[in-house]
Amino acid sequence: MAEGVVATPRRLPVLRRALAESWRAVVAWAVGILAVLALYLPLFPSIGSNGEMQSIIDSLPPQLVSTLGYDDIGTGAGYTEATFLGLMGFVLLTIAGISWGASAIGGAQESGRLELDLAHAVGRVSYALEQALALVVRLAALGAFAGLVILALNGPSELDLTVGGVVWACVALVGLTLASATAALAGGAASGRRVVGVGTGAAVAVVGYLANALAQQGDTFAWLRPFSPYAWAFDSPPLTDPDPASIGLLWLLAAVFAAAAAELLRRRDVG
Amino acid sequence: MCTSESAGPAVEVRGLSKRFGRHLAVDDLTLTVAPGVVFGLIGPNGAGKTTTLRMLLDVIRPTAGVVRVLGQDPRRVGPALRRRIGYVPGDLRLDGRVTGRRLLAFYAGVSGGVRSGEADALAERLGVELDRPVRTLSKGNRQKLGLVQAFWHRPELLVLDEPTSGLDPLLQREFLALVREARDAGQTVLLSSHVLSELQQVADEIVVLAHGRVVAEGDVASLRLSTVRHVQVGLGDTSVEAVQAALAPIGTLREVDVREQGGAVRVSATADGEIDPLVKALARFRVLDLSAQEPDLEESVLRLYGQEGTGG
Repeated sequence: MAEGVVATPRRLPVLRRALAESWRAVVAWAVGILAVLALYLPLFPSIGSNGEMQSIIDSLPPQLVSTLGYDDIGTGAGYTEATFLGLMGFVLLTIAGISWGASAIGGAQESGRLELDLAHAVGRVSYALEQALALVVRLAALGAFAGLVILALNGPSELDLTVGGVVWACVALVGLTLASATAALAGGAASGRRVVGVGTGAAVAVVGYLANALAQQGDTFAWLRPFSPYAWAFDSPPLTDPDPASIGLLWLLAAVFAAAAAELLRRRDVG
Repeated sequence: MCTSESAGPAVEVRGLSKRFGRHLAVDDLTLTVAPGVVFGLIGPNGAGKTTTLRMLLDVIRPTAGVVRVLGQDPRRVGPALRRRIGYVPGDLRLDGRVTGRRLLAFYAGVSGGVRSGEADALAERLGVELDRPVRTLSKGNRQKLGLVQAFWHRPELLVLDEPTSGLDPLLQREFLALVREARDAGQTVLLSSHVLSELQQVADEIVVLAHGRVVAEGDVASLRLSTVRHVQVGLGDTSVEAVQAALAPIGTLREVDVREQGGAVRVSATADGEIDPLVKALARFRVLDLSAQEPDLEESVLRLYGQEGTGG
C-alpha cells in the first residue's frame, strides 16, 4: 500500500464540482447569446434608427407595444433592451439558470447523488449555498460575456450605449435571472424533485414577466409593478437610467431564495 | 486513526422510531454496536435496515429515539462526525460523464484523509477501472466505486448497506476480506444484508430486523436461521417406495416430495433443524446430486420468529 500524501479537505468542493461539470454548458449558452446578439444588434441601423420601424410601431395598438417593451425602439438603448435584455437574453439566461438551479439539489436527489454527497463531510447549509454560488458564477459569466459582446457591437451597430449603462444592464439581467435560478434551487431543495424546482423557477420568471406586462397596460394593473422582478430590472431602463436600489432588490431576492434553499434542505429527510 | 477514542459503543441506538406518513419503518429500535466488531444487520426487504442506517448518517432524521455514533449525535455534530464514517448507501446510484477517478476525487476533497495511491490500490484489488466515465460502468463496477470511497480513508466506522449487491461471488469474497482487515485494524463495521450466508462468514454479532423491530439477536450460530433448508436430491438404483420408507422416520422433514423422473428418484423437501439425520438416511442410496439451499430470509425469519416475534 502506497504511503503517500494524505489529502486535506478542499475549500468549496461542491462549488468546484458544479463549475467543473457545467463549463461545457456555459460555453454552449454563451454561443447562443453570441448568436442572438450578432443577429439582432447589427440590424439596428437599418431597422431601429431610420424611423421606419418607429412608424410601424406607432401604428400598432399601444398595449401591444408596451407589452413587448418596444416603446423606445428607435434608440440604441431601447432597441437593445427590447430585443435582447428584456427578451432573448432574459429568456436564455432564465432557462439556463432554472435548469441548473433545479438540477443542483432536486435533480441530485433524483439521481441518487445527494444521499452519498450528504453522507460525506459536507453540511446541508454549505451544500445549498455552494450550489447557489455556482449559479451566481455561471450566470455572471454569461452576463459578463453578453455585456462584452454588446460593447463590441456598440460602435458598428451605432447603438450609442455607455459602458456604465451596459454594466448596469448586465447586473440587472443577471440579478433578474438569478432570482428565478435560486427559486428553482429552493423548489428542488424543498421537494427533492427536479420538476418542482423547474416549476418554482419558471413561476417566478413568468409571473414576474406577466405582472410587468399587465402593469404596462395602464392604471388598472399598475399596482402589480412593485411585485414584478422583471419590472425591478427594466422599469427604469438600466442602459440609460439605472436604478441601483431596484436592481439591488433583485439580488436581495436571489439571496433570500438561496437562504430558503439552505434552510429547506437542512430541515428535511433526504431520500 | 482507526481506534475509537473512547471505550464506549461505536453505535448506540435507543428507542429509535421513524415514521413515513402512516408507515412505521423503524419501531422502537434499540441496539448497541461494540467498537472493533463486525456487526450484521439482517432482515427481509422492508425490515427497516436502510432507514436505520440512513439515520446514523443524518441523511434522514428520527421521529423519536436517541442515536449516538462514535459517542456523538449525528444530527448535532454533522460533517465532522461523517468524516470518521465510511458509507455505502443501499441504493447506490452513480452517473454522469465524469470518470470514477474524478468522482472519487470529489469525495476525497470533501472528507480529506485519503492517502495518495489508496484509490488505485483498492480499485486494482476490486478490479474496477477508474478512468472510464461512471455512466458506462456496470452496476457491479459502480458498487466497487462505492466501496472504494467508503474504505479508502480508513474510517473508524464503516456503514455498509447491502454492499455486495451486484458483485460476483469472487468479489464478494474479496469484499469479505476487506471487512476482516478493517476489523483487524480496529475499525467497526456495520453491515446490512438480506443474504444470511454473507453475514455468517464475517459477522461477530447479528441483529435480525423485521417490520422495523429487532426480532432476534446474538452470534451467528445461536440464531438458528440457517437451519431451514430446501433440499433437492437425485438418487439412483432405487425406487420411490424405498426412499419414502427411508425418509419417513426423519421428523425434521416437511413438504416431502418423492417421485420417479428420468430413471432416477428425485426428492424435494424442506429440512427444519439438524441436517444430519437426512444425510445419514440418504447415505444408503447412490446419490447422483444434492443441493441444500438456504431459504429466503424472509421465510426463515417469519417461520422462526413469527410476525410479531420479539424473542432471540
